[in-house]
Amino acid sequence: MAGRSQHTGQIMENQTRFDLNAAIETWRNELAAQPNLASDDRRELETHLRDALASFQQRGLNDEESFWLARRRVGQPRQLGEEFVKADLAKAWRERIFWMALGIIVFWELTQILTFAAGITLYYLFPSLHELYIKSGFWPTDAVVLIIGIGLARGSYAQSMKLMWFLKNRFHLVSFVVILALLLSLTQTEFARESFVLNGHHPSVVTWAWAPWLENVGYFLSVYLAHIVAPLIFLVLFFPTHNWKTPRHA
Amino acid sequence: MYKTAMLTKDLVAASSKPLLLSILADGESYGYEIIQKVRELSGGEIEWSDGMLYPVLHRLERDGLIESEWKKSDTGRERKYYFINSGGRKALKSERQQWLAVHNTLGKLWKIKPALT
Repeated sequence: MAGRSQHTGQIMENQTRFDLNAAIETWRNELAAQPNLASDDRRELETHLRDALASFQQRGLNDEESFWLARRRVGQPRQLGEEFVKADLAKAWRERIFWMALGIIVFWELTQILTFAAGITLYYLFPSLHELYIKSGFWPTDAVVLIIGIGLARGSYAQSMKLMWFLKNRFHLVSFVVILALLLSLTQTEFARESFVLNGHHPSVVTWAWAPWLENVGYFLSVYLAHIVAPLIFLVLFFPTHNWKTPRHA
Repeated sequence: MYKTAMLTKDLVAASSKPLLLSILADGESYGYEIIQKVRELSGGEIEWSDGMLYPVLHRLERDGLIESEWKKSDTGRERKYYFINSGGRKALKSERQQWLAVHNTLGKLWKIKPALT
């Protein structure tokens, strides 16, 4: 047994050197492509693969043979994904709904902020375009956010998403949404100021130094907070925690 | 991947719960070790596909019968260990009664049958 595997090992070595770490990495990526497998599930399957691998190596098989046998034993990534989702359809849907809701909240916040930012930029740089932008009903910024959203859903930024700090854990994610909410509330104070101008006050009078318009801020913020506090409570309560309980290197 | 020639799919599904609970009642364990144990104890007659084990374990955990924890093993490798809790012990007791009832009944029938033919 040992002699035979040594022999095949030599042949393999002559053709191309089998890189065990690269093979495991490829397998890990295939597994990661399965939408139904949480990171905790994937780490658990990887420890299983490594255990199986080690047992074949102990029996005298070379790296390549051990890897393929272990891989076969654990199962095809696609089949595994199906098995896992069959076992817990409700959980899969709970998570999907969580991410959909999160998407809607972030989409809403981003469009509000971008609409405002684009409005101001155009107002100062291209006043003629600003007029057009307001008449258009602000759809250009909605379109930009929508395109980003579609890209994310299609997995176009899968690699760069791994680097995003706000996806690391619940605390980061909630902070991210809060930062967006604060940015957005800034735009609300600006709207309060504008509405004061529209009510007949002369723009030059309505400055940050002149406070009465700030009374309107309260109204705008309370309307706005009702929209943001509920989603935040939702985020904290229903965050799918088990994905983040797992250690880095299982 | 599915070597269910010995046991039908339905029977594999039905027996996985008492088997897992019984193994864990003997002490905590992790997926790979559990599969090895089942293979060994059944003399290879019960062959679980490795990937199918985890969804079952996760379901038992969700039902509150077992719990899990990532721990370092003696070799330094981290593994997800499962252990039984009081709910699981209760469930095992009831499973045991049911399986013994089936076992006893079939045993009596099959002991009589050869004598009749």
